[in-house]
Amino acid sequence: MQKMIVSAMRMLVYFILAVLCASLAGSVIQSQFNLVAISALGAPVPVPVWLATTLEDLAGFAPLYAAMMAVSLLLALPVAALALRLLTPAQRSTWQLPVYALAGALGICAAFLAANAAAPMPTLIAATRSVAGTLAMMLSGALGGWVFARLHTLDQ
Amino acid sequence: MYNRFPHAPRRVSAARTTSLIALLMAVLWLASAHAADSESREYDSQVMAEGLVHPWSLAFLPDGRMLVTERAGRLRLVDVQDGLREAPVSGVPDVFASGQAGLKDVVLAPDFADSGELYLTYACGTARANGLCLARARWQDDALQDVQTLFTTRPTKRGDAHYGGRMVFLPDDTLVLTLGDGFDYREAAQDPGSHIGKTVRLNRDGSVPADNPFVGHAGVLPEIYTLGHRNAQGIVFDATTQRLYAHEHGPRGGDELNLLAPGKNYGWPLVTHGKDYTGARITPYTTLPGFEPPMVDWTPSIAPAGMTQYRGDLFPQWEGNLLVAALAGKRVHRVVLSDEGARDEEQLFGEINARFRDVRTGPDGAVYLLTDSPAGRLLRITPAER
Repeated sequence: MQKMIVSAMRMLVYFILAVLCASLAGSVIQSQFNLVAISALGAPVPVPVWLATTLEDLAGFAPLYAAMMAVSLLLALPVAALALRLLTPAQRSTWQLPVYALAGALGICAAFLAANAAAPMPTLIAATRSVAGTLAMMLSGALGGWVFARLHTLDQ
Repeated sequence: MYNRFPHAPRRVSAARTTSLIALLMAVLWLASAHAADSESREYDSQVMAEGLVHPWSLAFLPDGRMLVTERAGRLRLVDVQDGLREAPVSGVPDVFASGQAGLKDVVLAPDFADSGELYLTYACGTARANGLCLARARWQDDALQDVQTLFTTRPTKRGDAHYGGRMVFLPDDTLVLTLGDGFDYREAAQDPGSHIGKTVRLNRDGSVPADNPFVGHAGVLPEIYTLGHRNAQGIVFDATTQRLYAHEHGPRGGDELNLLAPGKNYGWPLVTHGKDYTGARITPYTTLPGFEPPMVDWTPSIAPAGMTQYRGDLFPQWEGNLLVAALAGKRVHRVVLSDEGARDEEQLFGEINARFRDVRTGPDGAVYLLTDSPAGRLLRITPAER
């Protein structure tokens, strides 16, 4: 019983770390897309302004994105675990990290689509207006899945 | 000794204090109730029509009746005596009705009494390729005749958000029309080759006035009058000062009242006091050289959706003020104009507790309000009878 509780607590810590890494990465990525768009319009964006805006988004944007990421990983990680069960133990060790990363990426993509359908605005996160931006933001979900799986692997 | 009955005196004191606080609260409550009552009695509100489906704009016919647009694509006729006519006005062009898209503004030509001409703006096209259209029609036998589409925005865009769609006549008989940024196309508000996020100035037949600010400029659409707007849903020309005012929705914060001048750039999305709905910064800048600052910035947002300049006899204390209808704010903001700028003076009609889509000054000097809901109302506001 105690072992199960310890195991569950570990999983919880891994999950929180995964959400933290993914949401911070996603926040930094979306800041770059917005700043590139502003820069492309001809406004000068010197490095200090670039960094300050990126940091400001970590406080302003990352909390909401962390909530989205938490929900998406909560659904995507069990799906990844189930998918891995279809593989042999040897295949599983090879594919564990990619499958979790893929699940994280697809999970956050699904979260984008759900948010856009539910929210009054057409696209909730501006960086996901383009295919390139969506793929880049999916990398943050992939990072979340990868971090969770990596920590789990180290544990094993 | 000091500690022997440490609580008894305090209990008495606490009881007295509690009584005093209760008394004070009762007095304050009575005073606030009286104040609220006094406030509510400063004007009377009369329901002229109800059951309007997301009414958007209002125009006064010379015979005393009113035209009201409904977002779904219907034009309704309201009679002062008989109320809302059940059958919508016929002849309205087909609109793209979805989300924020639909029938928008209705404005009578300055010579309507002679020409019978009126102008409509509406979302046109499909979900995948749409924009804003301007049509002219002739009012005859309580119907629209000879409907002509005069102007269509380009390029087309996807989605059903941010159309702008308000218009106003200038004294030279040209028409200035506000165009939204389509939400997902904010950067296009700075693209001179696109109508997105601009105001345009047109002749009454839809042609381009020769003195438009960008006529003859390569790469700039000649209809463009001003640039850098997000979603302007209020525009007023002050005939006394010859000034053109427009307000626009910001994102989360950054709603603006602007003084429009031909050829000027109002900065969206390069400069704004607002942030994205996610909390992300849209731009690092609230000001930049070359961009016009707002006269009034509303942060947090009030969602300004209609505007009138009050000119009438019933509310002399508001003469010349701008009245700004607010959706999210559920108030009408009274903005006082001066040579130095503009000041958001007070908020009105909060006790009506409705999202206000439009506000107009009637020919009788009353203030007319459209409330935004699937069962919207047309309200007539007059000073309270004392």
